[in-house]
Amino acid sequence: MEINKRDYRHIIGGEKMITIKDYVEGLFREIPDSQEKENIKNEIILNLEEKVQDLMESGKAEEDAINKSIVEFGDITEIKMNLLAESGSVQTKKVSKVNYANRMWFSIWGAILIIGLFFFINYTTSWYVHPWFVYPTFAVLWWPLATFFSWLNHRQK
Amino acid sequence: MISSDIIRGHLDAIILKLIIEKDRYGYEISKEISERTNNVFEIKEATLYAVFQRLEKKHFIVSYSGQITHGRTRKYYKITALGKEYFDEKLNEWKLTKEIIDTLLEEKK
Repeated sequence: MEINKRDYRHIIGGEKMITIKDYVEGLFREIPDSQEKENIKNEIILNLEEKVQDLMESGKAEEDAINKSIVEFGDITEIKMNLLAESGSVQTKKVSKVNYANRMWFSIWGAILIIGLFFFINYTTSWYVHPWFVYPTFAVLWWPLATFFSWLNHRQK
Repeated sequence: MISSDIIRGHLDAIILKLIIEKDRYGYEISKEISERTNNVFEIKEATLYAVFQRLEKKHFIVSYSGQITHGRTRKYYKITALGKEYFDEKLNEWKLTKEIIDTLLEEKK
């Protein structure tokens, strides 16, 4: 009987009995991976499997027990929203922090190099006539200064 | 199956109450709710885990893994002092609400 059923399924398109694990994996497929997603997925799988076990002990066939558990499971939109909200906020925070640190260093080194270049030209050519490298130095210093304050602004937010 | 707004509005408190009695895990809670209400009210698993997420985020409950079954660990929930406080507040609120609705809906003595 059991074998016949399987054969029949195979002929009509290989439809396999869905497992709790497959079902829950499917529910969370579009959520980006995280430790929290993994935890809640495992928790749900374990609890649902226990429910299936209970239903089978009370006399249901495995397939019926799985189907009943799946049908009664309900809508996980809220769980997904919570997971998405969390992963979203963590990601943006990380990205912007790295960006600001990089931008700060870039502006400092950029300024040092440009000032150094002007100083070198000035020093090797007309140092005693006119130390003009001071003008570009002040202009270039606006760059790290501006970066620094936009970083401060960001931190206060 | 009843699924009214009133029950939904008190799910947090209902689940806190069960966790206050003793540390529990997910399926145990949904089973307990069905049994205590003679299957008149059943909580959907999806709803239950959303409530866990919410309560954990508010620090009303904490989870820990315990008791190994078939080589796997179960996630248990435990009440916090803050959770207990919130529950007491909700319980008082409910008693008051019940009184008001009883007074207004039932025959005047």
